[in-house]
Amino acid sequence: MTRLVRAELFKLRTTSLWWLFAGATLISTAVMLAVNLVQAHELLQPFDKFVALHAHGRNVAQMPPEFLNRLRGEWELGHSAVTQAATIFTAGQLIGVLLACLLGIVLITSEFHQQTATTTFLFTPHRGAVIAAKLVTAVIVAAASWLASTVLALVVGAIFLGSEGYGTQLGQWGVVRAILLNLAAYAIWAVFGVGFGALIRSQLAATVAATVLYLVGAAAASGVFDLLYTYVIKQDWILTAQVIVPSVASTVMISPTKTFDQSPAQWVGAAVLLGYGVVTALAGTRLLRTRDIS
Amino acid sequence: MDDVRIDVSGLRKQYGDVVAVDGLSFTVEPGRVTGFLGPNGAGKTTTLRMLLGLVTPTAGSATIGGLRYTDLAEPTRIVGAVLEASSAHKGRTGRNHLRACCITAGLPRARADAVLDLVGLLPAADRSFKGYSLGMRQRLGIATAMLGDPRVLILDEPANGLDPEGIRWMRELLQGLAAEGRTVLVSSHLLSEMQALADDVVIVAAGKLMRQGPVAEVLSSVGGDARVHARTPEPDKLSIALRQFGGTVTPEGPNRLCVTGMAAEAVGDAALAAGIALHQLTTEQPDLEDVFLDLTQAKAAIR
Repeated sequence: MTRLVRAELFKLRTTSLWWLFAGATLISTAVMLAVNLVQAHELLQPFDKFVALHAHGRNVAQMPPEFLNRLRGEWELGHSAVTQAATIFTAGQLIGVLLACLLGIVLITSEFHQQTATTTFLFTPHRGAVIAAKLVTAVIVAAASWLASTVLALVVGAIFLGSEGYGTQLGQWGVVRAILLNLAAYAIWAVFGVGFGALIRSQLAATVAATVLYLVGAAAASGVFDLLYTYVIKQDWILTAQVIVPSVASTVMISPTKTFDQSPAQWVGAAVLLGYGVVTALAGTRLLRTRDIS
Repeated sequence: MDDVRIDVSGLRKQYGDVVAVDGLSFTVEPGRVTGFLGPNGAGKTTTLRMLLGLVTPTAGSATIGGLRYTDLAEPTRIVGAVLEASSAHKGRTGRNHLRACCITAGLPRARADAVLDLVGLLPAADRSFKGYSLGMRQRLGIATAMLGDPRVLILDEPANGLDPEGIRWMRELLQGLAAEGRTVLVSSHLLSEMQALADDVVIVAAGKLMRQGPVAEVLSSVGGDARVHARTPEPDKLSIALRQFGGTVTPEGPNRLCVTGMAAEAVGDAALAAGIALHQLTTEQPDLEDVFLDLTQAKAAIR
């Protein structure tokens, strides 16, 4: 097993793929970090200064009360060093987690896309072992990209928070928990990717489907469940049930605050996401074990 | 595990309504090169893939040294296989492809360079696979198969893409490996090459076994007797003399006869006894190609 994981890591290292993933992860972290720092800088101001920033030089007294109320709500939610630190230290998560999932997919679909499956299964006839090695590899690589992204965010974020006068905030459990849950998200999505890739052998189809599911899933789920709630069953649990969509589960898992009004506890999101990871990996393995390689 | 025999018994593979391999049984002996012959679509590749655990048989068994491929503890140290010329990642170098295989199989990394040297690919070791010609890809495939120094070699159409010099190199390599006591099974639809390479042949058509045995035996059992061509200034007299000894004689143009049912020695002796001059006497062995076409005729390649 160690041999297989080492071989998978070697295979990954000897193509240009890992450069692409590492680069994309760091760039998305850097971009999101810049956006988060600007927002945090604004939200960490006292309320009157926050309002002044949003007034863009106009007279604050003439501001419509609805707009002022909306700003107050936004400020109250975000005016917390812990919340801002958690957001900053997990910057780049949206794309980073998707990349971890895509990496998991490519780890397995490239065997068919590059026609290396024959060699791979000749060297290791036990296909279950091959997939297990790919799962371990996907988790290792996902953890590595989480580490790279987190180190970047920690260094820049700690300097920023220090300069704003809030210290590093790393003593706060809420902040540490956010960073660790972020790692869990990377790992589970990578596992999900391997399973998904085993189920949908076509590299193109699998990557496109996963990206759409990830990026559009939450919005689509929100629309569908809203319709269900409005026209079919007018009960709150219908809205809570949105969590069965993987991307919603992922958001619920990593958000310390409520994602939507009826959103369940964080552990529910984690359980759902983990469930998807395990089920796709098992189903993918089962399918691949009996499939003819030709 | 020194002498490793391949046993295929009642092997069958059905894809929907199509029976690709239909109750195939044969054995492959160590120390010999066995040619696995058949027209395209005869089920050769499917058979080899079932032998190597890549395709699950509908029925029957295929074993190597008495074990199924998937039951071998370290398969690459017992069996080396070359199934298609393009089974490495396009962006990886030849050397790194082999190193990845070494890590998987728990072999020392130095084996990568050893087999690159064996197949003459060292100069191209650090070029990526996408820049390899078909011939180089075949050589890398053979290198991959040789990593574990296996007792059994299984090759699917290895001559594809090789130039005449490459084909000769491969023939010498495989015959050398068989001479060391290894078991070598080579599939091909190219008959002339097989006649020069193989000791035994297994001929299949439409998923069924047509004939198996040593090349000479298969030739004589199907292609009939060897033909003797004789050139003489007195063809009519010679015809009469040979018919007395039971030969079948057909004229082949001026002063030339074709004789079957008699060996060249008997033809020469008969001519001497009758006092007839012979200017040329040649024996023509039946061609594997004739046998092959004979056997596989009317078995449509496309089913």
